[in-house]
Amino acid sequence: MVDDDKLQQLKERIDTAEISNSPPSNQKKENGAGFGFKISTEIIAALVVGVGIGLIVDKYLGTKPFGLIIFFIFGAIAGFLNVYRVMRRIEKQ
Amino acid sequence: MAAKDSPLKQFEIIPYSKTELGSYDISFTNSSLSMVITVAVITLFLTLTVNPRSIIPSRLQLISELMYNFIAQLLSDTVGDNGKKYFPFVFSLFMFVLIGNMVGMIPYQFTFTSHIIVTFALAAVVFIGVTILGFVNHGIKFFTFFYIPGVPFYMHPLLIPIEVISYLSRPISLSVRLFANMLAGHTLLKVFAGFVVAMPFFTGALPLAFIVALTGLEILIAFLQAYVFAILTCLYINDAYHLH
Repeated sequence: MVDDDKLQQLKERIDTAEISNSPPSNQKKENGAGFGFKISTEIIAALVVGVGIGLIVDKYLGTKPFGLIIFFIFGAIAGFLNVYRVMRRIEKQ
Repeated sequence: MAAKDSPLKQFEIIPYSKTELGSYDISFTNSSLSMVITVAVITLFLTLTVNPRSIIPSRLQLISELMYNFIAQLLSDTVGDNGKKYFPFVFSLFMFVLIGNMVGMIPYQFTFTSHIIVTFALAAVVFIGVTILGFVNHGIKFFTFFYIPGVPFYMHPLLIPIEVISYLSRPISLSVRLFANMLAGHTLLKVFAGFVVAMPFFTGALPLAFIVALTGLEILIAFLQAYVFAILTCLYINDAYHLH
């Protein structure tokens, strides 16, 4: 085919144009305090949710204090899971 | 209520008029005024600067285009092609938080992002919207988001509650981060401003110089927190499309 050569050329041109069009995402480096703050809010948020669910469970099922104990532990683990995910996202960048 | 000279007095809500709808207090307050100013600034700035639509943009038009590109790039980087639909939402959210923070940096101006109810409302909109989006895209299969494949079956009763708590903690961490940063920064500024008056002779110049530096840092944080809010919204939208 005659057009094969032209098509190939066009494809190369499109490829180079696409590469030059999408500049590498430049992530801003955060300072240490901001980073620490980000991590701590993740843990605190998960603990708040865990304790909240625990208190609600205790109130409506009358399982005081086991709901709170169990969901506090779940919340703590979820907090660590959040931190792990944040760290993995940062490492990927 | 904060004391007369407390550094927390700046966060006090002052109602300008007393309006009640049923049992709800919907008075127009200094917080509402601040939000109205923010929206007016955004609308006026964006419409006026891009109005000439010149091929060679003026400096102000360039700022608007930079903001547009910034969020468009963010969306295409994190969500991909699906992200274009959510541009208006993410852009509005980003501009509201960013300009709200910046308006708050003007002396005597109220900072509405320093109130957790405001940031939590924004985060709740994101959270509920993203959850609905997940159900629209995946139907009942959305629940597999909490199910981690490749784990022994007896671990699931432990892991599913943990995943659910982790998911529910998203709006809280999103709102607390923005609110606490703004609250802490503005309180710190006022505390140091107190030192300027309290220190003897000319040593007050030292904290004054520190305030100048701190104001610069606060403007950086104001931008960074708006950016974090926008990028996390994008990541959550991405999660609603790709469950794992």
